[in-house]
Amino acid sequence: MAYFITDDCKDLIKDIRNFCENEVKEQAYEAEKLGYSDEEAADEIIMEILGGIQEMGIGTLPIPEELGGPGLCRIDRAAIIEEISKYDSGIAMTFMANELALDSVEIAGTDEQKERCYEILGEGGYGAFCLTEPNAGCDVSNASTTAVKDGDDYILNGSKCFITNGTIADFYVVYAITDKTVPAAKGGYTAFLIEKGTKGLSAGSIENKMGIRNSHTSDVVLEDCRVPASCILGEVGKGFQVAMGTLDIARVWCGIAALGVAQRAIDESVEYVKQRVQFGKPLAKNEVIQFKIADMQMKTEAARQMCAYALTLIDRGEDFSLAAAEAKCLAGDAAMAVATEAVQIHGGYGYSREYPVEKLMRDAKIFQIFEGTNEIQRLVVGRATIGKI
Amino acid sequence: MEILVCIKQVPDDSVEIRLGADGQPDLSAADPQGNAFDTYAQELAVRFVEENGGAVTVASVGPEDNKTCLKNALAVGAAKAHHISDDGIAGADAAVTANLLAAGIKKIEEADGVKFDLILCGRESTDAIGGEVGELLAEALGLPFVSDIVEAVPDAAGLKVKKELESGYLMVETPVPAVMTVSKPDYDPRYPTIKSKLAARKVKIPTIAKADTGISADAETPKVVFAGFEEPPKREAGVKIQEDEPADAVAKAFEIMTADKVL
Repeated sequence: MAYFITDDCKDLIKDIRNFCENEVKEQAYEAEKLGYSDEEAADEIIMEILGGIQEMGIGTLPIPEELGGPGLCRIDRAAIIEEISKYDSGIAMTFMANELALDSVEIAGTDEQKERCYEILGEGGYGAFCLTEPNAGCDVSNASTTAVKDGDDYILNGSKCFITNGTIADFYVVYAITDKTVPAAKGGYTAFLIEKGTKGLSAGSIENKMGIRNSHTSDVVLEDCRVPASCILGEVGKGFQVAMGTLDIARVWCGIAALGVAQRAIDESVEYVKQRVQFGKPLAKNEVIQFKIADMQMKTEAARQMCAYALTLIDRGEDFSLAAAEAKCLAGDAAMAVATEAVQIHGGYGYSREYPVEKLMRDAKIFQIFEGTNEIQRLVVGRATIGKI
Repeated sequence: MEILVCIKQVPDDSVEIRLGADGQPDLSAADPQGNAFDTYAQELAVRFVEENGGAVTVASVGPEDNKTCLKNALAVGAAKAHHISDDGIAGADAAVTANLLAAGIKKIEEADGVKFDLILCGRESTDAIGGEVGELLAEALGLPFVSDIVEAVPDAAGLKVKKELESGYLMVETPVPAVMTVSKPDYDPRYPTIKSKLAARKVKIPTIAKADTGISADAETPKVVFAGFEEPPKREAGVKIQEDEPADAVAKAFEIMTADKVL
């Protein structure tokens, strides 16, 4: 790991590694396998893991120090999240989703709304960012969830999909069309902060995913969900800008979680090539293997530096949109390439569920897809680099 | 009840340690940490005071660096920590460590205005595996001693403790103050939280200098002198049985075992 992290954080990471080695590594692997046949039993294990992580205070990481948070800078927080993601990126995504939901609140919410969310996270709760819809993935403006003004209230109807923490969240940031006459980006879209238990808001079916299976991904359904206007995050009609601002930050966190997958793939491969003997010597003594490991390491480290740079820009209050797109894209591609190479290095064993690298390969794929596909990121980077034509 | 837990800082015992070219253990990959049995002792102590009231203090004899394990102890329930410097003592044996602890404990009691009812040590350290300091500390302090406890509850006499034996448990009553060593209870030490760890890192741990403990010249002179480390002999290659037929291979195995008087 090559973050410039504080001594405090170095010490914390030792504790987190110790915790993850004992309480996450095997358990998360078991839950992932069990989930194919017994979702309920798998979820019991996952909730126990999450409970332990919450007890350590990981959920409080985004809370400002003056409101009870640990007061760590973003790079320290990133190093911690990468460490958890190394052990299970699905579990790490649960906390990434908290950040995602909270980012919207921090961008546009009132002090009261922010404090409420900090309070929920401080008590070990979860947040969910509800933007994607069946017909509105990268094309956010094609959303169909509506919020219709009714007196002092708004009534929301629609369905969101692929929502991380959908079934376990205590607060939901929901984006809805408040004015069909104008495009979403031009004043038609609004963000709402809705707490669990609000009538008309429910979690729908759970996604049967290829990877990050230990995260709770589900539909979130809004059926005549009546909320007061005080639930609006920011201004009516400014939801698109809030969502885009949130995704900019989220892309970096997404990259950080991807790095955990890549690093684990490297670690597993290094261990394997030292002990696997073929043609009378350990695989590690073959140059072709050394070159593969070198490429895996360089790809991961380059992406890590890009993520750290983007986080530094955020901490310094500078424009980070381009860096965030570059970081997410590089890290997602690195995770996929490195995990795939890890399977190749493991040969037949890598293709078997007896070794963790096949899981890493499945886990890695999503990092090229969500929070804006890597094609979208390339579009952002390409347009920014070329400039006006 | 006021409880003192003695903690030794040891190299991470999950890392394989080999001797370096200088004949000394290469500890570069083994981070220092609190001895596992001492962490069990602390967890037992913290659970005891959570149930019955009181406070847990931790102490460690050794170089300045030992404050690392003391800070870790503060993050998991200890209220106070004291470092007892062994500066100037080369190759302290168990008796010297116990003598220095005994003298340091008296200083801690004076400084904090407390009288410890119970002093706990781990049953042994994971590096030297001597298992002697607890007994010698009780001797130096002139206190009752029970070894290998896994449970302690208040009792009319002082404490009722469950002592681990090879084939079961022994229930013992003892007055306090007393010294005890702790074996592995049926629970694990708690994990620190981010908040408790960050708070513990900020604590300034006081050091009691060896000279201030009033330890005598004889008490600080090791009787058992360290002579050197030796690695276990490397495993020799085994005998390969390469007969083509299983029956021949089994017959060969029996022949070898018979010759070696295994059978």
